[in-house]
Formats: sequence, structure tokens, C-alpha cells
Amino acid sequence: MSEIKVDVRGETCPIPLVEMRKALRKASDGDIIEIMGTHPASLKEIPMAANALKVKIISEEQQGEVWTIKLQK
Amino acid sequence: MTQKIIYMDNAAATRLDEAVFEAMKPCYFENYAVATSEFGYSQGLEARETLAEARASIASALGAAPEEFIFTSGNTESSNLALKGVAKALGNKKGKHLIVSKIEDFPVLQSARSLEKQGFEVDYLEVDDLGFVKLDQLEALLRPDTILVSVQHANHEIGTVQDLETIGRLCSEKNVLFHTDATHTFTRLPLDVRRIKVDLITVSAHTIHGPKGIGGLYVRRGTSLEKIADGGFQEFDLRAGIENIPGAVGFAKAVSLVTEEENARLKVMRDRLIEQVITKIPLVTLNGDPEKRIPQNANLSFHHVEGESITLHLDMYGIAVSTGSACFSRSLEASHVMMAIGGDHERAHGSIRFTFSRYNTMEEIDLVVETLANIVENLRRISPLGKQGGV
Repeated sequence: MSEIKVDVRGETCPIPLVEMRKALRKASDGDIIEIMGTHPASLKEIPMAANALKVKIISEEQQGEVWTIKLQK
Repeated sequence: MTQKIIYMDNAAATRLDEAVFEAMKPCYFENYAVATSEFGYSQGLEARETLAEARASIASALGAAPEEFIFTSGNTESSNLALKGVAKALGNKKGKHLIVSKIEDFPVLQSARSLEKQGFEVDYLEVDDLGFVKLDQLEALLRPDTILVSVQHANHEIGTVQDLETIGRLCSEKNVLFHTDATHTFTRLPLDVRRIKVDLITVSAHTIHGPKGIGGLYVRRGTSLEKIADGGFQEFDLRAGIENIPGAVGFAKAVSLVTEEENARLKVMRDRLIEQVITKIPLVTLNGDPEKRIPQNANLSFHHVEGESITLHLDMYGIAVSTGSACFSRSLEASHVMMAIGGDHERAHGSIRFTFSRYNTMEEIDLVVETLANIVENLRRISPLGKQGGV
């Protein structure tokens, strides 16, 4: 089980979602994907996509402008 | 992502029909010879006959004679050959002026731009808000040195079907050659060269459950056209290169499998999707004409949402569609078709194209509408009207 980090700070829609999908396609079952971004809409959109894909959302955190979402495939 | 896939991007590519694959197989494993002259070996002669049968069968679907139809590698090559081949044949004899519509697909548009760089003059014909070319403008643009008019049969994005009969008549009256890109209409709508005055027609197998890599160009007898790639003397000396016989056979089979019943079924699916989306989702605009559109195309703009976001979220549910938006390129350049029909950037960026095929079902239509309604609602909630930083 490995941890994949996706840094989309400064990127706007739809790039964070595209990068999330890319990481998920590469990941194996059980892998953790940590996505770090700044675009406010993506903070809502990524969990929405994760639910659609039935991917587990482990945590969502926000520090200042930067948010971090952890998913498990 | 293991769920069932609902594929509704059939304007881009279609699933191969098993019957097409079966028809092609002997050309790979039994008689794989290249078509030869009458002085060659028997397998070559047989291959030649097979190719001739495929050609005759496809030509007859257009009301054409077999020698008026040449095989190419697909619609891109066909349209390149039509525009550049006519330019090569007539550029130094008749003139250097061409007219193409603003909403052509890239093979025609880019060929026109390439000819401009070589000293040809191109006028880009405008369209109205439904995508119909302005016929009075076409009439005014035709000149004694005009060598070719190229107007697609139907638009690849919004599905609007042009009045080829009138365009053909206008061109014919002024003795100007007329090319149409029928990639998205061949077998789906009637097109008979005995009735329509068209000189060159681009067709392709990949949109009708045929193989990729095979298409064709109808060339009316006596049309001034020169080949654009040097090599052998195949295809009546208009297209050099070894013939793709498996492709030709597959193309002919694919043509034979399309029926009027199937086209009627596609139209029912199209109309149901449009009606359901407009009923269930607020702030939606239909792009293109509601009636004069190809049976397999629905194109809708979802206001205040980006098309890419919709396509990405639909993909999460295994639904494949395409968008007229282009944020992926990061160029923010919207579809030239959507802009030409007077769409603003928002309408272009929120546009989604659904294209149906033999393998889609009414249940899929209902499922797509339901999924789409949820996605659009959620995306709009994330990005309220006019809010900065929306999706």
C-alpha cells in the first residue's frame, strides 16, 4: 500500500479533478491519494466525484487557502 | 471504474459490429494478397474482385457508379484530397478562390487554411444561430475564379443538416465544384448524387460501426482532381498506396447493416433525451435545429456549468460524452462551431454532445438524464450563478 501525493495548488477547475482521476487510475486498491489544492470549488467537487466512484474519503482539511483531501482506493 | 459503460460519443468512434469483423477476417487470414492486375496471380485477382465488390456496394448507396468512388484512410484524408486535389488541378487553370463554411470539421477547415498559406484565397461562409449556412451570402461570394465550395452535409457537433440541394444548384449554375463532408450523415440520411448536384463527398466507416482507418471520396465523373500523395497508381490514379481491402470490405458490410428502422430508433432516442433534459433540468439550451438534425445527435448547453466538469463527472458514472468546451487545452478556446452560431463563451463551454448508436438503449437514455440532472444540480450548487471561481 503506498501513498500518492497530488499537488494542484494554484490550478482551477477542471484540472484538480483531472489530476485526481489520473492518480486513481494509477493507484492500486488500498492506496492512499493525498490531493492538495487551493481552488475552492474543487474542495467540494472532489468529494462529489469520490462518492460517485465509491472511493473512501479519509479526511478533508483546510489551512488558510490550502486544502488537503485524503482518499483511499 | 468497473461499472457498465454507457458510450454516447459515437460521432467520435463507434463500436465495431461483429458482422463487420467477421466479414473482414478472411481478408487477413485467407486471402491477404494485394489486388493485382489481370496478369498477376489468382489470389491477387480475387483480392481485386473483393475490392471491386466493396466499392460497387458503397458507391450504390450514394447512387454513384463504382468508378466514382475511391477508398481513402478516412474522412481526414478524403477532405484533404477533395480540397487540395481540386486546388492542385484547377489552381493554375481556373482560379485560386474557395468557399468553405465556418463550421466545417477540421479536415476541411485546416485544408483551407493550408491552401491559404499557398496563395489561395478562402472565404468562410457564415451560419445563422441554428447552424444553417447563409445561402444569400454563398450566392454573393461565388466568383468566376471560384474553384470549390465545401459545405458539410451535417455538423459534427450540433447536428444541423444543410440544404445540399440548393447549395449544389447554386454551385452548378456558376460552374463551381461542390464538396460535402458527409462523415456524420452517410447512411443516416438520404444522399443520392443523381438528385443532388454534388461533385465530391467525404465518407467514413468509423461513424457507422465500421473499422477505423477506412473512408472514401465520391468523385463525380469528369471532376478536376489530382492526387496529393505520390506513389502507385491505385484508386483510378487518385490515391496512391496499397489498398486496405479488409477495411473496404468492413466498410461495405457496415453500410449494408444500417437500416431505416435503426435510424428511426436513433431519432426516438435523440428526441427522448432532448425532451427529458429540457423538462428535468433548468437553464438548458438546445444547440442546432430541433428538426433538421441528424438522428443520432443531441447537443445541449447547461448554463453556469463547465462542459468539462460535466463530462468528468459523467465519466465517474461510466458515461462517455463530449463537450464543446476546451479548458483541457488550457487555451480557453471554445468550439468554433458554437462561437459561429452566435453562442457566447458560456454557452460554448457548457455544451455537451450526446451521439447515439446501434448499441444504445432507451434505458440508457433515462439513466443518463437522471445522472446528468444530479450532476448539474450539484455542480451549480458548488458554483452559484455568477460566483467567482466556479467550476
